[in-house]
Amino acid sequence: MPFSRKRAIARTSIRILANDPAPTIVMIAMPLILAAFLKPAMAAQLQAQGFSGANGAEQVIPGLAVMFAFLSTQVVSMLFYREHYWGTWERLRATGASASDVMIGKAVPLFFVMMVQLVVVFGAGGAFFGYRINGSFLALGALVAGLVAAVIGYAVMVVAIFKTLDQAMVIGNLGGMLMAGLGGALAPAASMPGWAQAAAHLSPAYWGLEGIRDVTLGHAGLVDVAGALVALTVFTVCCGLIAAIRFRPTEAKIGTT
Amino acid sequence: MLEIIDLKKSYGEKPVLRGVNLKVEPGEILGLIGSNGAGKTTIISIAAGLRTCDSGQVHIGSGRESEWDVVSEPRRAAGLIGLAPQDLGVYPMLTAEQNLMVFGELAGLGARAARARAHEVAEGLGLAGELAQTASTLSGGQARRLHTGMALMHRPSVLFLDEPTVGADVAARRAILGVVRSLAEAGAAIVYTTHYLTEVVDLGAHVAILEGGRIVLRDSVQALLSSHARPTVAVVTDGAPADLPGWVVVPDGPGGVQDRWSPSEGLLDLHTPTELVAGALARLPRGTRLVGIEISPPTLESAFLDVTGRAIAFDDNAREDAPDAIFA
Repeated sequence: MPFSRKRAIARTSIRILANDPAPTIVMIAMPLILAAFLKPAMAAQLQAQGFSGANGAEQVIPGLAVMFAFLSTQVVSMLFYREHYWGTWERLRATGASASDVMIGKAVPLFFVMMVQLVVVFGAGGAFFGYRINGSFLALGALVAGLVAAVIGYAVMVVAIFKTLDQAMVIGNLGGMLMAGLGGALAPAASMPGWAQAAAHLSPAYWGLEGIRDVTLGHAGLVDVAGALVALTVFTVCCGLIAAIRFRPTEAKIGTT
Repeated sequence: MLEIIDLKKSYGEKPVLRGVNLKVEPGEILGLIGSNGAGKTTIISIAAGLRTCDSGQVHIGSGRESEWDVVSEPRRAAGLIGLAPQDLGVYPMLTAEQNLMVFGELAGLGARAARARAHEVAEGLGLAGELAQTASTLSGGQARRLHTGMALMHRPSVLFLDEPTVGADVAARRAILGVVRSLAEAGAAIVYTTHYLTEVVDLGAHVAILEGGRIVLRDSVQALLSSHARPTVAVVTDGAPADLPGWVVVPDGPGGVQDRWSPSEGLLDLHTPTELVAGALARLPRGTRLVGIEISPPTLESAFLDVTGRAIAFDDNAREDAPDAIFA
């Protein structure tokens, strides 16, 4: 029975996401549009760092993909808070659905949607901007999955902590941009001031992007990015634990702006 | 079967439920009535496992199923419970069929069984033609029927309907009441809260009156009417003579009822038995011109008033029991 509840909630989440694909389409389109502007500048920066054959896509595609993945936390927030706005939250609870049923039932479809989002951005980056990797595709896939899990963990933690959709959107987006920026989404972390480089270690974007950089510009395989994967897992688990401790199914949330 | 034993609940320092005891047998519809804020929704929320109580027990079960205490094992009891909360709760961008299926699947039905049941429920509620429509495009009455239908998908043994006809049109109300009756005939124990007291009468329900945090009366509608309601006699005049006081006391009514004089409407409401009409007329001042006499049969509302000493909150839609008028 508990599995059927998770499956039913997941199926509903997929239907809701499919009925409103605009946010996902924007999160795919925007990095590709911005890549066209930023790629030449990034090419010069990478070449100055010694990567003579770099065309800029090696930095701009992963960076913007990760930046907009973190901005997708609002999609996660909406999926939770809308249940309160629609009056369906209490109904879900009355069926005996637990907090974990709801969290897993929403997080799993979101994971796959965001994986598709990032795969499309990386794929289009390869097709239109000449993004290539020297290392292992498996390692790249694992890093992307780890980053998506970290983003969803962070977003669910934000939902668990904040009472209103406005709070979750503002804090979620600001926090997401900060983590992505510190992590090297806009410029390589190595080019930032020393204090920022130190702070970047707290950001999952840093570990994910450093790993992707090693796969893209170096020849890294799965073993080489194990440290980054562990860091992403630790971040995700910490967010999940905070969410589990803080999440109150009985708390009335304000699900509209 | 639903049995609530000595249920207590406070919000902060304010006690809302002070020891509620209630039993609803399989096949019984119980109209739970009370003023706004009396605690009806709190009882339902606790009994449906959505809210904790300070103390007490809520047993849910039936002859063929295990009995669970909702307070200690809410998730086990949930499978036996159907709830249509007071506020509308549907997924607006999903179709009516998908909305119904979600709750079938949540109760453990497979996709095919959930779809078949969705069609069955929609048929009963007159929504068969709207199954493919997204919920956001349904009318208010259709959405209210869908909202109710979502609680019926798993054939619950105990069904809580919290003001299910608020905002519903006549057709929606009729459909909902019809389904409630058939569910009771199928053996469900139903708790039905409403401010439209005529619905309780139409359903042939038993009545429990919640007042001061306790159930102060539980009986059949007929027994309640015969013991606590009187016909209402309104003597209609063409206006208030200047020397008539604003309040008129009729000491020979049962209990010496104090009745209301409404000078602006030229109405003298007398909560007295019909046989006292003559006496009431005799008390009218000389020169008052009689326009008519209206006699209303006993109503659940007047019984509620008699039991609780206060009027139940209701809107104009609830005034379906218009008085029989005898005009002079």
